[in-house]
Amino acid sequence: MKRYDLIVVGAGPAGLSAAVEAAKYGLKVVVFDENANPGGQLFKQVHKFFGSKEHKAKIRGFRIGSQLLEEANNLGVEVVLNATVAGLFQDKEITVRIKDSIQHYKGDAILVATGAAENMVPFKGWTLPGVIGAGAAQTMMNLHGVVPGQKILMLGSGNVGLVVSYQLLQAGCEVVALVDAAPKIGGYGVHAAKLARTGVPFYLSHTIIKAEGTDCVTGVTIAEVDKTWKTIPGTAKSLAVDTICLAVGLSPMAQLLKMAGCIMEDNPKKGGQVPVCNAYGETSLRGVFVAGDVSGVEEASSAMIEGRIAGIAAAEYLGYIDKAVLTEVAEALESALSSLRQGMFAVENRGKNIEKTDEGYVVSQHLLKKGYFQDAEVEKYPGVTRQPGVHAVIECSQNIPCNPCQDACPRHCIKIGDKITSLPVVDETANCSGCGMCVAACSGQAIFLVNEGYEAGYASITIPYEFLPLPGEGDRGWALDRGGSKVCAAEVVKVQTAPVFDHTSLLTIKVPVAMAMKARFFKEDNCHA
Amino acid sequence: MHNVNNRSRDIGEFVPAEDDELLICRCEEITKGEIRRAIHDGMFTLTEIRRYLRTGMGLCQGQTCGKLVKEIAARELGLVLSELGNASSRVPMRPIEMKVFGNEKEPGENA
Repeated sequence: MKRYDLIVVGAGPAGLSAAVEAAKYGLKVVVFDENANPGGQLFKQVHKFFGSKEHKAKIRGFRIGSQLLEEANNLGVEVVLNATVAGLFQDKEITVRIKDSIQHYKGDAILVATGAAENMVPFKGWTLPGVIGAGAAQTMMNLHGVVPGQKILMLGSGNVGLVVSYQLLQAGCEVVALVDAAPKIGGYGVHAAKLARTGVPFYLSHTIIKAEGTDCVTGVTIAEVDKTWKTIPGTAKSLAVDTICLAVGLSPMAQLLKMAGCIMEDNPKKGGQVPVCNAYGETSLRGVFVAGDVSGVEEASSAMIEGRIAGIAAAEYLGYIDKAVLTEVAEALESALSSLRQGMFAVENRGKNIEKTDEGYVVSQHLLKKGYFQDAEVEKYPGVTRQPGVHAVIECSQNIPCNPCQDACPRHCIKIGDKITSLPVVDETANCSGCGMCVAACSGQAIFLVNEGYEAGYASITIPYEFLPLPGEGDRGWALDRGGSKVCAAEVVKVQTAPVFDHTSLLTIKVPVAMAMKARFFKEDNCHA
Repeated sequence: MHNVNNRSRDIGEFVPAEDDELLICRCEEITKGEIRRAIHDGMFTLTEIRRYLRTGMGLCQGQTCGKLVKEIAARELGLVLSELGNASSRVPMRPIEMKVFGNEKEPGENA
């Protein structure tokens, strides 16, 4: 039996962060992961993360994974892959399946960061090939380079459903419908708006009646549901799809902790059965810690901070640092964690109907039902101003923990302030240079540059663009509005790509000036437009 | 208060439903109707249902159906999910062939 100071189970964002932090204080750390690649879900996340600059906002998830792995390697953390932890026993002993054998290890401290598994929802035909988890679709596309299908229906409008739908579009699939039984979109409005402006239709208060097909999915029947989730007769409609993706939540994979004897709780707000733990992630068993989704389903940014806290707590538990150091370091991390847990999408607000932002702006019901603003609504938010000349238009209307736009502007045109969930305010007195840094920095792709004085009768609109092939200057096509409808012909007048934009290109299109506050996407069509 | 282990509790007759043919546990091919019937046969806990039907004992070890079986059982028994509790977690966490499970090696030894 081999001994380590700290054994980490799971090499995802939480596990790696914990390992890095513990190794910094001198602990001998090993990380086991059952997968062939480390990083957990991070390497599937090709989108830019939300949050604060200090905590890796606007960096794409897979890059964060590489950074963590490099840090772990530099600190001498052993990462053992294809290693399935089969059991967690008394006195912090674990058994690991490595190749064709079972091996025993003992940790003086253990950190379980096994993450969560996708939920499924059964309906007629749900076992047909073609019905897959949204996470599975992401694995196929982003890890293996395989598109899961051509015509997709996504069930679930939480951030996973929205983000994966966008990635499906990027992979060249058609997202035929985004369906959710809830009456309003569960994820961030900005994620929904990214889909809506490409023309993806949202069906809220709808559910899947059945998947059609005999050998594989060839279609799907959906129908509207009433407030008691019962289907309304006469509302069924059939859609031709070859793939149904389910994004209906995650459940913590806490079985190791349960078998080890940790006190567990059944907590629907945390996604199911989780171990009871203190602020440092220590369970009812001294020296057994948890971090990330296994202790309550959240997202990768908070998982990384939880991991760091637990890693430091493990160092303190083993006497590598004083209690005072733990208290001090953990306090700073906890305040970062609590800032990520604020705003409209905070756990305590789940299921609540929030009608106004903290600042008192009315939340758009149209955004929550259709995925985009009505024209008149958008102008009342503090990021949306009308100015002569080029300026940023920030269509950000919900209190979410995210602030990279504030730091992106070299001329300080954008203000969020100390409260990370506040809506960005465009300062009309500051002088926008039109550099586009804010457009590329916004993880929600909600910032546009508008210039109503581009040339006589025409305005220019600069949009964030993350599709291939990238249109070229002089290309013609259609400008689409926020709902994805063609509103006018448009011409690409400028295409900017730069390493600092990190694969978000800036496409500047020319449209009639009356369309300056309507056109928000470009669809190439050199033959007709 | 409900007592999960009160076997004399009346949960009513088994009433066939339209979706009884729906597969819930894919690995062991158990339908919703079979799970509901098992409850009316007296299997009032997830552990009993699992032993009676083998739900959640196949390749995925309940990763897919665990939550679904729990929801069906809670509804049939008129309980909220937390009252029902969960099935036990046991070693090995993932399905492992017996020849591997019995092949213990010292760490570092050639597997």
